[in-house]
Amino acid sequence: MTAATLTDAPTEPGLDPDTGKLGMWVFLASEVLFFGGLFVAYLYGRTHFPAGWAEGSRHTDVLLGTVNTAVLLTSSAAVALAVACEEDARQRRWTARLLALTAALGVAFLVLKGLEWHAEWREHLVPGPAFALHVAGAQQFFALYFVMTGLHGVHMICGIAALGVLARGRSRERAWARARQLEAAALYWHFVDVVWIFLYPLLYLVDRHG
Amino acid sequence: MAEARAATSGFARERRTIASAWVALLLLMLASLGSAYLRLGPGNMVAGLVIAGIKGAIVAWLFMRLRQAGALIRLAAVAGLGAWCLLLALSGVDYATRTLTPTPVQRPQQLLPAQAASEPR
Amino acid sequence: MTTDTLPASYLDDGLTLRSWLATTDHKRIAILYALAITAFFFVGGAAATIIRMELATPAGDLVSNDGYNKLFTAHGVIMVWLFLIPSIPSVLGNFLLPLMLGARDLAFPRLNLLSWYLYVAGGLITLEALLLGGVDTGWTFYTPYSTMFSNTYVVLTLVGVFVTGFSSILTGLNFIVTIHTLRAPAMGWFKLPLFAWAMYATSLILVLATPVLAITTLLVCAERLFQIGIFDPAFGGDPLLFQHLFWFYSHPAVYIMVLPAMGVVSEIIPCFARRPVFGYDSMAYAILAIASVGFLVWGHHMFVSGQSLAASMTFSLLSFIVAIPSAIKVFNWTATLYKGSIRLDAPMLYALGFVGLFTIGGLTGLFLASLALDVHLTDTYFVVAHFHYIMVGGTVMAYFGGLHFWWPKATGRMYPEVWARIAAVLVFVGFNLTFFPQFILGMEGMPRRYHAYPPQFQVLNLLSSAGAGVLAIGYLMPLVYFAWSLARGKAAGANPFGAKGLEWQARSPPPTHNFDAPPVVPAKVYDYHADEPEAEPVP
Repeated sequence: MTAATLTDAPTEPGLDPDTGKLGMWVFLASEVLFFGGLFVAYLYGRTHFPAGWAEGSRHTDVLLGTVNTAVLLTSSAAVALAVACEEDARQRRWTARLLALTAALGVAFLVLKGLEWHAEWREHLVPGPAFALHVAGAQQFFALYFVMTGLHGVHMICGIAALGVLARGRSRERAWARARQLEAAALYWHFVDVVWIFLYPLLYLVDRHG
Repeated sequence: MAEARAATSGFARERRTIASAWVALLLLMLASLGSAYLRLGPGNMVAGLVIAGIKGAIVAWLFMRLRQAGALIRLAAVAGLGAWCLLLALSGVDYATRTLTPTPVQRPQQLLPAQAASEPR
Repeated sequence: MTTDTLPASYLDDGLTLRSWLATTDHKRIAILYALAITAFFFVGGAAATIIRMELATPAGDLVSNDGYNKLFTAHGVIMVWLFLIPSIPSVLGNFLLPLMLGARDLAFPRLNLLSWYLYVAGGLITLEALLLGGVDTGWTFYTPYSTMFSNTYVVLTLVGVFVTGFSSILTGLNFIVTIHTLRAPAMGWFKLPLFAWAMYATSLILVLATPVLAITTLLVCAERLFQIGIFDPAFGGDPLLFQHLFWFYSHPAVYIMVLPAMGVVSEIIPCFARRPVFGYDSMAYAILAIASVGFLVWGHHMFVSGQSLAASMTFSLLSFIVAIPSAIKVFNWTATLYKGSIRLDAPMLYALGFVGLFTIGGLTGLFLASLALDVHLTDTYFVVAHFHYIMVGGTVMAYFGGLHFWWPKATGRMYPEVWARIAAVLVFVGFNLTFFPQFILGMEGMPRRYHAYPPQFQVLNLLSSAGAGVLAIGYLMPLVYFAWSLARGKAAGANPFGAKGLEWQARSPPPTHNFDAPPVVPAKVYDYHADEPEAEPVP
């Protein structure tokens, strides 16, 4: 009637390498919806204020934005290479350096972003009473611009911190800086890159030919 | 020895994949930038989003290794996007079918969407 | 190492405060949650008490208009986010899920502890906002009032909600990964207890819906602090954008609150009817259906808000559809009782109460899903009664039922059965006396969120307030007898109710590692037989 099968010993949590990967993907699913709300607000604004969105986007720094996109894409390639190196016994010596390179590219991204924001502040493109553009919706565009790039920047900071810590841990051969943890951190980094991949055309390329 | 060679050639393949993906991503970025300077009307947004979609797919498929992942991981990967599409689709039903009726007391900025809708293109 | 030298149970495994505050044992974390949640329940209940005292008379004479606004906001915010959402998942789910799966702990034990700290931090921030003077926007924080006109602690409260939200997301993440990766090898998906199915579906909603709430709170704060104009009609913004984003979370949130309750009921009824649950497969599919279709109906909170008619009709139709899997579950619970050997122990009283009251709540939801009726009933006490029937008549009763059912497992003590039954009956009677009159009040037109009302509504309001008093007694009694049982309760064996399920194969209370020997996964889940002798005698 009962007791048809006996189980194996209960599995120790955390020993299966795929557990962390699944956990990170589930977390990234939640992040898609976290940023997703902002994208919905953006789409509302773009469809209701086409002129304001166009005017605002024309005043973003497309050169810095493009350079930053290239920096972030390169950083993704770097961290992907780091994970690949970690999995090959002969290339493992490069992992820590590639992780550090990724983090450094991330820092470069944030520095450029900071310069961009500073320039926009000087040009009175920060929403407020002194806002420089007078097309309806341009102010909302820039409000969303700062919120979206700001939230993205916060995620970058967390990613840089994680990669920096892992780079140091890997170079010191720590047990917590192995392929499992690197792969999870790399997944997070790639996600932050994908968010930017969508932010780039939506913020910088709305009406460049106007 | 054969193992090491196999492992290295596996690494070499992976490295080639990453490098090709990186080049493709940069080229697509430049294509996106270039297309923005062409007069394509609504095609500009379409081009931008399609190119971004391809770039995102390259990162997800090759860098995030969905290519080698099992069904469960792939399901987790699309679940967020799926739920977001529901948010967009059903709120979109409201936005697509809502009629704006201007009243005398509204300020000019508020009337702009309605005016734009009634203006000749 | 002999068993003499091992701690007897997870309760003895470390007696310092630090061993509790730094624990990664899912059972201890469940206890930590239980204590925090109980505290918040009584704070939210205190707000409700003052509300019902005010509403006993037609004049708004106990508190001011602003004071009343702050009271119902505090009641809603605390009860929804600090009590109902975490209650069954974070207390019962945390304690039971690894045991039910035959696992040693959750997939990410340290993340579990972080979830608790985030919950407490968010709760304290919200409490701080309350103590500083409160919020008066209603728990729904509608714009533009919350973003432009309210002079209360909106931002602080929303920060608290934001932090608590991440506690939810991480708990959901933990449960999903645990159910996928830590099931005992012989336990396929269709041998999972329905409570585990319910935890899984709830976790999907936690992970996918809560982030939208998080971003919405950020946008409201940004609008309030920096006037970004996205919700402000004067700048062409849309107040309904807030409502779409808010309800996209807040409707699935009610399924976060009710699915775990359904899971608890599905564990209790088979045990106390001595029958396997009727239609196990359809129960599991219904759980998934409720979770998924539940994402498609949020606009039914916005029928009169200015939403387009086409959207309203779409949401109305989808809302009717989402009732179907819930109905299937009610039919199956009822069918489970057929030819059963029914014992009306306290857990069963709560579970049966759930089935009846959830049915009433669910049916009245259909009233509200009808566009024409909703025009009349929206923002009246009909809505208040509807959701309290589900949340209180449903979820809280199931929570209490679960607390009683698994109390012996968690503490090794039996609660006093006679007092527990009396409390259960008082809760049931008190609940109906409190909330049934509110259906009538709503149909007669009494609006919600008003503390003064025309005198013709007084009789029903008085009945409701009297009922609230009875309900309060019913809720306070377990506090007393549960505490008493810890000291003087009869020692409980591993399986005092003769229940099936892997958690009953562990000792009561279990050791930290849960199982001394690998648990045996039975060939059939819910393998109860009405003609077999039931509970093993308590040693």
